[in-house]
Amino acid sequence: MSEIKKKIQSVLPGGAWTQLHDTSYLPPEHSDVVIVGGGVMGLSVAYWLKRLEKPRGAIRVLVVERDHTYSQASTVLSVGGIRQQFSVPENIQLSLFSIEFLRNINEYLAVVDDPPLDIQFNPSGYLLLASEKGASVLESNVRVQRQEGAKVCLMSPEQLRNKFPWINPEGVALASYGMEHEGWFDPWSLLQGLRRKVQSMGVLFCQGEVTRFVSSSSHAETPSGEEVTLKRVHEVHVKIDRSLEYQPVECAIVINAAGAWSGQIAELAGIGKGPPGTLKGTKLPVEPRKRYVYLWNCPQGPGLETPFVIDASGAYFRREGLGNNYLGGCSPTEEEEPDPENLEVDHEFFQDKVWPPLAQRVPAFESLKVRSAWAGYYDYNTFDQNGVVGPHPLVVNMYFATGFSGHGLQQAPAVGRAVAELVLHGNFQTINLSPFLFNRFHLGEKVHEHNII
Amino acid sequence: MLKIIIPTMMLIPLTWLSKPSMIWINTTAYSMLISLIGLTYLNQFTDNNLNFSLLFFTDSLSAPLLMLTTWLLPLMLMASQYHLSKETLTRKKLYITMLVLLQLFLIMTFTATELIMFYILFEATLMPTLIIITRWGNQTERLNAGLYFLFYTLVGSLPLLIALLWVQNNLGTLNLLVIQYWAPPLLDSWSNALLWLACMMAFMVKMPLYGLHLWLPKAHVEAPIAGSMVLAAVLLKLGGYGMMRITVLLNPLTNFMAYPFMMLSLWGMIMTSSICLRQTDLKSLIAYSSVSHMALVIVAVLIQSPWSYMGATALMIAHGLTSSMLFCLANSNYERVHSRTMILARGLQTLLPLMAAWWLLASLTNLALPPTINLVGELFVVMASFSWSNITIILMGINITITALYSLYMLITTQRGKYTHHIKNVKPSFTRENSLMALHLLPLLLLSLNPKVILGPIY
Repeated sequence: MSEIKKKIQSVLPGGAWTQLHDTSYLPPEHSDVVIVGGGVMGLSVAYWLKRLEKPRGAIRVLVVERDHTYSQASTVLSVGGIRQQFSVPENIQLSLFSIEFLRNINEYLAVVDDPPLDIQFNPSGYLLLASEKGASVLESNVRVQRQEGAKVCLMSPEQLRNKFPWINPEGVALASYGMEHEGWFDPWSLLQGLRRKVQSMGVLFCQGEVTRFVSSSSHAETPSGEEVTLKRVHEVHVKIDRSLEYQPVECAIVINAAGAWSGQIAELAGIGKGPPGTLKGTKLPVEPRKRYVYLWNCPQGPGLETPFVIDASGAYFRREGLGNNYLGGCSPTEEEEPDPENLEVDHEFFQDKVWPPLAQRVPAFESLKVRSAWAGYYDYNTFDQNGVVGPHPLVVNMYFATGFSGHGLQQAPAVGRAVAELVLHGNFQTINLSPFLFNRFHLGEKVHEHNII
Repeated sequence: MLKIIIPTMMLIPLTWLSKPSMIWINTTAYSMLISLIGLTYLNQFTDNNLNFSLLFFTDSLSAPLLMLTTWLLPLMLMASQYHLSKETLTRKKLYITMLVLLQLFLIMTFTATELIMFYILFEATLMPTLIIITRWGNQTERLNAGLYFLFYTLVGSLPLLIALLWVQNNLGTLNLLVIQYWAPPLLDSWSNALLWLACMMAFMVKMPLYGLHLWLPKAHVEAPIAGSMVLAAVLLKLGGYGMMRITVLLNPLTNFMAYPFMMLSLWGMIMTSSICLRQTDLKSLIAYSSVSHMALVIVAVLIQSPWSYMGATALMIAHGLTSSMLFCLANSNYERVHSRTMILARGLQTLLPLMAAWWLLASLTNLALPPTINLVGELFVVMASFSWSNITIILMGINITITALYSLYMLITTQRGKYTHHIKNVKPSFTRENSLMALHLLPLLLLSLNPKVILGPIY
């Protein structure tokens, strides 16, 4: 009774009107597609969904991003390289489309009355060096790459010394050099360009964390009589930052593009909760792995034509800007994996693991000065270090676009298109990414990619 | 008449006093029994009317509409069971009470003798509908939808009150049975033209006329299923019924006052049909299709010829059943996929074949397939408008084509093709849903065998 009195008093003039609160910071109550994760992968899926939908304005898309400053997102902490030098044909095709997207970015991402995008693409190419042991693998890889249409050439140590005089080709048996469509670009501009375009296409953004999936299950029987539980997520609880408030968003499709945290999101949906060895018990094997990137200055270093060099030992570096600065790093071995709890940089790692091989390869690097360093996460696929794309067989409306283990940024435009095709048309139409479906984790079919940095 | 009104009123204590497990069964069963009582009114043995009391009467025009209203209540209750299952008991009872109250007002509106009583109940139907839309609707836009709905209708109908009071003063009575014989001819003057407008605008907004139709897509899309059903099936017909009743007062002025509205309707039916081709939201498509069909009814009522009146009545009943069925089908889709976008739930025929059969039949009746009563209505209207002006046949022909186009487009997009991966685990159709569709379709098909029941007073 007192509640009714309070309500009446607040309605009468002079009372404090407490009925309708401003809820514009909350996401909408309904969205057809909810994309968990607002990095380059999630935004790419949103872009292609809006671009490929047949009647314009058909699908309502909501992108939920936990951190709008992108302080820990893999996209902006990435070194920003793009290459076609993979061994798996699908990876090569993905990069080829992505480079075409990036070259014509102002035709894809143009927004009326906004300045054009400049992603500062440096088409300097990649240089992969192989020792005696890896030379034959490198050669067969280059053959596959050439078949797919990448422009890669093989170089002998002699040719290396001629072309790049700053290189010490000792220990190098063969090198592959990408002559076109390879290089590096600024991932932050790509991200901002995608954000701008996607917002102009009508995608809603929300800052919040996905804390719960409400799903409904139904049972079905396989032809052999086994019982299967199919689940569908019909509500996503988005919790607002620094508050207990959450908004249940009713959705038809959820896209998991949460990068390094995709494993946690998959667990929320109940993926992997079952007896191990069954499809129900197969987790999404994506976890965050920390990788360091160091920026150093070397006045006598290699010049403008320096490609992105990846040494046979796994260390890599590239030119950054025009002031003799270089970015580089190295992937640690399994034993040396740093703790992904935070993004603190280990400078000892540079001294012990990165500098020696690079100094051996490029003698000029014997005297250098480290300017700064940062760390970022790989959304590391512990199964086969290649992306997971496509729907989950049991949670029928969750699609994955994650797990790219360090080469996600360069494949994002193409993967976004593939996922949008899956959602809108039901199958892959341009690039066939069936080797990257979730089923392979249960069936044990690894996609062997040799050139994982 | 009391034998329908009192049981309907008593449905309210029935919901509040039933055991929680028996609410739905009780209300559905008793409302269906009430609708069976209404069947007796369809037996109109004179060409005049059945007079029940000083307050209530039915004739061949209001009896089918009354039947439609009472038939729809059990169907609305059946359709609402799923989305109310998660609500608290009190909320469920409130919802059913709103529906029953709306039903009560509608029954009394269709059988009112006195035009002022008709007006009061016409306005009273707004209240429960508004409450249903704004409280139980789905999205935040429902507040906007409720606002549009309320104010469009109110602004349209306030002049009607004034006009009715003036007529009462002038004529001495507003009894529908008396004014049929007593109405003086309305001669051409500015004030009479305003009177004409005042009388007609309320019903034009309700129909809705093309220029005043903005409230309809909003209200239909945001309303819960029972709200959409009753809006599409019955509330729109209130406008048509009112127009047919009030035009006896407005001759011969109608002959040239009707022209702007005829133009708006003829143009509007093509426009709204074309918009349907571009709709992505399933409910929005069905809402615009309602506007298109009702535009035909407006054309028919304004022509005022015997055939057009027959067509208007038939079309109202046929559209009521078809539209309500389409909304139920769209809702069954929405409950499974949680999205109203058509392209996200494709290829349902493979997964739910029986539901696909209902979709097929509903789409076929929507595009006025012979020999359904939809065709009977549309054909009569087309013929009447042809005799009114030969050129309208082109517009009517275009409209029928586009109606067929979007009905089949809706059918093919949702039913045919390969199903999407994310609807693989849709629950199979419930018996409740199948019986809901069958109960919609059964009267439609039976009436195709004997359409003279719904051809109105002129037959």
